[in-house]
Amino acid sequence: MTLQQSLHSICNIARREIHRLVERPIYIFCMLVAPVLCIIFFLSLMKDGLPTDMPVAVVDMDGSATSRNLIRQLDAFEQTKVIVRTQSFSEARQEMQKGRVYGIFYIPENFSVKATTGKQPTLSFYTNGTYLIAASLLFRDMKTMSVLAGASVGLQTGQAKGYTDAQIMGQLQPIVIDTHPIGNPWLNYSVYLNNTLLPGVLQLMIFLVTVFSIGMEIKHATSRNWLEMGNGSLTISLLGKLLPHTLIFTMVAFLCIAALYGFNAFPLHCGWMPMLVAVFLLVLASQAMGVFMIGILPTLRLGLSFASLFGMIAFSIVGFSFPVLGMDPTLQALSNLFPLRHYFLIYVDQALNGRALYYTIDQYFWLAGFLILPFLIGKNLKNALLYFKYIP
Amino acid sequence: MKKEHRLRYIIKEGILDMFYVWKDELKNVFKDSGVMIFFFLVPFIYPLLYSFIYNNEVVHEAKMVVVDQSDSYLSREFVRRVNATSDVQVVKVCSDMKAAEKMLDEKEAYGILYFPSDFSKEIHKGNQTEVVLYCDMSSLLFYKAFLLAATEVSLELGAELRAHNNPVSTEKMQEITVNPIPYESVALYNTQNGFASFLVPAILILVIQQTLILGIGMLGGTAREKNRFHSLVPVCRHFNGTLRIVLGKSLTYILLYVVVCIWVLLVVPKLFGLPQVGEGWTILLFLLPYLFACIFFSMTLSGFMTSRESPMMVFVFTSVILLFISGVSWPKEAIPPFWKAVGYFFPSTPGIQGFIRINTCGATLNEVAHEYHILWIQAGVYFVLACVIYRFQILRRSLLDQAKSDQ
Repeated sequence: MTLQQSLHSICNIARREIHRLVERPIYIFCMLVAPVLCIIFFLSLMKDGLPTDMPVAVVDMDGSATSRNLIRQLDAFEQTKVIVRTQSFSEARQEMQKGRVYGIFYIPENFSVKATTGKQPTLSFYTNGTYLIAASLLFRDMKTMSVLAGASVGLQTGQAKGYTDAQIMGQLQPIVIDTHPIGNPWLNYSVYLNNTLLPGVLQLMIFLVTVFSIGMEIKHATSRNWLEMGNGSLTISLLGKLLPHTLIFTMVAFLCIAALYGFNAFPLHCGWMPMLVAVFLLVLASQAMGVFMIGILPTLRLGLSFASLFGMIAFSIVGFSFPVLGMDPTLQALSNLFPLRHYFLIYVDQALNGRALYYTIDQYFWLAGFLILPFLIGKNLKNALLYFKYIP
Repeated sequence: MKKEHRLRYIIKEGILDMFYVWKDELKNVFKDSGVMIFFFLVPFIYPLLYSFIYNNEVVHEAKMVVVDQSDSYLSREFVRRVNATSDVQVVKVCSDMKAAEKMLDEKEAYGILYFPSDFSKEIHKGNQTEVVLYCDMSSLLFYKAFLLAATEVSLELGAELRAHNNPVSTEKMQEITVNPIPYESVALYNTQNGFASFLVPAILILVIQQTLILGIGMLGGTAREKNRFHSLVPVCRHFNGTLRIVLGKSLTYILLYVVVCIWVLLVVPKLFGLPQVGEGWTILLFLLPYLFACIFFSMTLSGFMTSRESPMMVFVFTSVILLFISGVSWPKEAIPPFWKAVGYFFPSTPGIQGFIRINTCGATLNEVAHEYHILWIQAGVYFVLACVIYRFQILRRSLLDQAKSDQ
């Protein structure tokens, strides 16, 4: 078969595939609607970057001007909002169990008197660890508040003794930590989560669509016809069939990149090219993975189940929420089997930290390496296409 | 009056038909390995996998590199104490920032702790001094570990320095000048702020809804492919009433899911030591409307599934959205009103909220009344909708049947 013939077959199969894609609304839903819906959802959900005004309850057993001042200051923090004041701890705890507050700030009895007379009253604060993000934000604010409360007493005592403010601060808190979160100084959750969540959704949909489109050929017994159009060559048949998918998914992927780094102006320290290449490779790698899935499990429902499992687990195992280094060693090794994991590492190095390409290049090779997968399973897949009968 | 029109007869036949539908559906489920995957295999495997992934709960020994330009007793003491915390491990002490940055580039460390050259000098002069912490933001948990460890050490060392600089007569006096207002923080319910205890209970509840949608959707899609006229209900004498079909089928699902729930919500948390302080009866009472809502919701959706495999294509990705819309990871107060409203369509939203508060925080039904009511309302609404869907399908089938026999 000459090159020209091959190209001709690829074109024909691609044209056939485009008809198939347009015919069934489910393709349009999975390839365009679902990813775009996710882009809109996640970016609008986290548009503020950090949740603000998280509700807390204050148990004010003191009821003095000092304690009221403390509450006002706590309320003034951006992430914290005092929504109830209760007279007892159990009331506040009930509010927490009702889900109305995520934290409790406890001011003990005779707080102001004890504080000024050196009797060391203890401030306590409680966070609801079941809501991790809300709890850690409130923890930060309530802790700062407690430290400040101590400092203000110290400041008053120091001023009374005639020290300068600088001297007092040197006494109160000799060592301070100056924190620099590299690449994401705002601790923006949208940056932190969406850079991986959205490509993750894309990867999942590519798995599903690839498996589905090949599986449907088997289900409707059109696979022989498809292979014949490719002159019996699986490579040509696959190329022709998946080419339209590649084009559409790449378009959606670029749209996603544009939404992240253009529209939302998330940190992009490497310029556009490395990320565009990375996301394109993610599309190709996911398609290859999809072919592998249906090749190894040529039953449509099993192939799709595999695709769903793999696609969903990816969100957890790439380690953008819980780091891979904190997982079991088996899982650390397994994480390499997920294209999204390599995409995530590229994103961290390139977009977030702007590192030299030298440190990332192996991850690009990993992504490209997934393209070997269809060849490993080619024989099995071809057999399935020729002889397999659809089992519901 | 004809025998068929007597109320007693209708009720009796309805109940018999209901059990017929129940048996028929049970057979359908066990005959169909695709559905078996969703009803049994997925609920069996997913919770185990997720628990395994997040089982370590917190990050230990996050790798940190130190740049110590001060090279003094104090800076070395600081580093020693940071290294001694369980959260952080100091992998190397470099002489300049360049070397440290290189280690970050090569992923040998994820944070830099930098001591300026005048670190010790400033302290001895009685001024405030700074330690600079740089964090790689690929994971917030690393950042949190570094920040907590460094802050703890700075406060501890600071207090000792203060005590050393201002000697006072008694130990108690010392304590008071150093720490006029002590504070304590308590993490309730999830005491170590662990990741598994936070996320896995939500995933467990979500798995129940999603597998029901997928399984029932697949049953519906299969019926549409197989039955005459692509109808959801088969042409059969026993499938002539809406109520008996809807009740009979839901009876099948609820019986199967009692077993699933025991595994997912009782055994798995025990196996992995997830926090579970909720009362058994409360959880049970709460799950009842949740299961009803999920089942009728799934039956409603299954009316729109025209092929066997389409539910997987359409519903799998929604899990990610539903997890975020439920308000566990992203606080519900920060969810825009539009998405909040969308969330109310899904049983998982009140289901997750209520379940984690009962299960993990030990709330009573009173305290989750809001979610509990919503679940019952959802169960009612989706029950009616499921009936409408099946009524429509029965009518459509009879019409087509009629048309065919007229020909």
